[in-house]
Amino acid sequence: MNATSLIARKEAGELLLSQRGFAWLMALAAALSAFGLLLVSNTELSLLDNAQVVYAMVGIVTALGGLLALVVGVDAVAGERERGSLIPLLLTPVSRDTILAGKLGGVAIAWAVMYALALPYLWAVGSTGQNLWQGMVVLGLLGSPVVLGFGFLGMALGARLTSARAGLLMGLVTLMLSASPLLIGPSLRQSTIGRGFDAVNPFSAAVNAFDAVIIDSQTILGQWSHIAVAAIWLFLTLWLARSGFRRIAR
Amino acid sequence: MNLATILLAVGFLLSASVASAGSLSVDLRAGSGNPSAPQMGDNLSFHTVIRNDGNAPIDGLIAWISLVQIDKGKEQPLDLEDWSAHKAVTEASIAPGQTLETDWPIRLIQAGEYRVVVSAVSRHGAGLVASPFADFTVRQKPVVESLRVLPVALGLPLMIGGAILWRRRRLYR
Amino acid sequence: MLIEIDKLSASLGSTVILHDVNLSLGEGEIYGLLGPNGAGKSTTIAVALGLLKPDSGQVRVFGQNPRRAAHEIYGSLGVLPEQNGFYDWMSAEEYLGFFSELHARHLEPNDLRDRLSSVGLAPRLRQPIGTYSRGMRQRLGLARALIANPKLLVLDEPTNGLDPRGRREIHDLLLHLAGHGVGILLCTHLLDDVDRLCRRVGIIVDGRTVAEGTIADLIREENRPVRFRLRLTGERPPAIAEKVPVSVVAHEGEWCVVDLNPDVAPDTAWRQLLFRGWPIAEIRHEGGGLEDLYLTLTERRAA
Repeated sequence: MNATSLIARKEAGELLLSQRGFAWLMALAAALSAFGLLLVSNTELSLLDNAQVVYAMVGIVTALGGLLALVVGVDAVAGERERGSLIPLLLTPVSRDTILAGKLGGVAIAWAVMYALALPYLWAVGSTGQNLWQGMVVLGLLGSPVVLGFGFLGMALGARLTSARAGLLMGLVTLMLSASPLLIGPSLRQSTIGRGFDAVNPFSAAVNAFDAVIIDSQTILGQWSHIAVAAIWLFLTLWLARSGFRRIAR
Repeated sequence: MNLATILLAVGFLLSASVASAGSLSVDLRAGSGNPSAPQMGDNLSFHTVIRNDGNAPIDGLIAWISLVQIDKGKEQPLDLEDWSAHKAVTEASIAPGQTLETDWPIRLIQAGEYRVVVSAVSRHGAGLVASPFADFTVRQKPVVESLRVLPVALGLPLMIGGAILWRRRRLYR
Repeated sequence: MLIEIDKLSASLGSTVILHDVNLSLGEGEIYGLLGPNGAGKSTTIAVALGLLKPDSGQVRVFGQNPRRAAHEIYGSLGVLPEQNGFYDWMSAEEYLGFFSELHARHLEPNDLRDRLSSVGLAPRLRQPIGTYSRGMRQRLGLARALIANPKLLVLDEPTNGLDPRGRREIHDLLLHLAGHGVGILLCTHLLDDVDRLCRRVGIIVDGRTVAEGTIADLIREENRPVRFRLRLTGERPPAIAEKVPVSVVAHEGEWCVVDLNPDVAPDTAWRQLLFRGWPIAEIRHEGGGLEDLYLTLTERRAA
């Protein structure tokens, strides 16, 4: 097994085998369950169109995935540094890019687990409606770069800031700002500032693509402009993570 | 059967579809596209025609829709909040012979037997004009979602919790 | 030389931490790097390991610049940092296996168990590291540092948290490694460890090397006596005109406390005393030499 896979497997183990990682998965599953139970226990919500529900759940999964990736990303660098386990890793005969690639792989595995966890929920709430499969695909296609970008951002912040707490705080503020289109109404987003924010915000790109594909039944390939925004976000955060990781000295 | 009896019977039959008071009448009919056996989540539509049958214009008309549940033992007026956003209509003036046609969409929220009625008053009118009743029954929608959602929503967290316990027991044995 | 540091200065952010640090370590040598808290020992190690870029001066590890040849250097290097963290959910065997793979060495479970046994970690191999005591974690850190059969070991407080038996075992292990040519840079506050293990030391104060050399030479230069406690089986001979290499400080029952003349090597001094009829049954080092030297040098700098 090469060093990248080895480190990625270790990072995934941190999520899947440690008590802390299990607690995170449990919290995410509980959040999705709470939404699912709300849907069936509230008469009005239970009557929502299936596509509307799938759209809402896909947005929630992306936001929760971003949160998970951010925490995993910050922990993989700043958390490990604070626990004293990063330096021994940096002092192995493996290049920093390889170590970083392994850690990025760890974030990707965390998202893959989250995605897999979300699929049964999406099936449960949307199997009788339209565009369920398209919703799952567009979540993978648009949600993945957005979520992974937040993981990479977490690593970049963890490498540059002095503590994991500071990195997490800054990352959470960014995530909340970015995910605000889930909370604010469409009318606010129609203002000049709202439109400008939507144009550069990767989360908006994902949410708009979800809307177009799941609700409006547009084609996934037709979302190329949204895909482009998400891809730019992914590469920008990757660059930030790489330059930050190279600076770690102690 | 004398003439008066015949006229009374005709009038009674007419009152089943059209209500009037003085010069104003309100006709209420179920939408032609309504499902024959509606269930929770379906949309119904009702159509009213409000006509000025008099010789003088009617000013300041207000018409509104009311929904009551008529299940035995559950009789009650309903708050339309969840059922419809289209609760009333106003018209500044209706000339003699003119009509005001309105569609009233309703989303079916709960199962049961219901009755819809549209009422109208005008600024100088002597009293309330009510449409005939339109009754309908809403069937309980089979809770397919619940059957799917509950096992997933309860099962997955339990599964993860079980995995945590299993891992702990294995490690600390 | 395994490590050569000459006139090193380095900064963390805008703060200059190291001003003038010198250090050299050869094969089979255990070098003690001493200094008060915040003197710059950890920063010196960070520069030597190529983690931190120096402002000026020269740093060579295995004759190479550690910033440019990190990959080759790390392959023959073992490090036990002061803040020694682990993946608590792994077992010791999994942990060591992970690091051996990163060093491109595939070790069979038996090899891993042997390596863990060599640092005294045999009984609890499969339990998660999270359940380990501080001393056990320290032993595991040492096993990790040794995974690549390194030519150079950099150890920051290696006996931290170990009980007396554990300390003795680690001392024996380090002496054994040094005997097989491994160079060891030992960074510690425990002067007893340094006294037992190191021949040469460097003392850093406020980012400057204030003393470097063999312990004996440094003590001699400072003209400081070294104190010993001698157990005598009978009366010591009466003082005669001829000079003895020690001055008697106190006499407590069968124990005689003496200061050794710094000009005389201890083995020579004991031979002379025995020759003159001192009934010496046991010799114990009372400290004084290195400890006094350290306190003097660090106080002088602080003043």
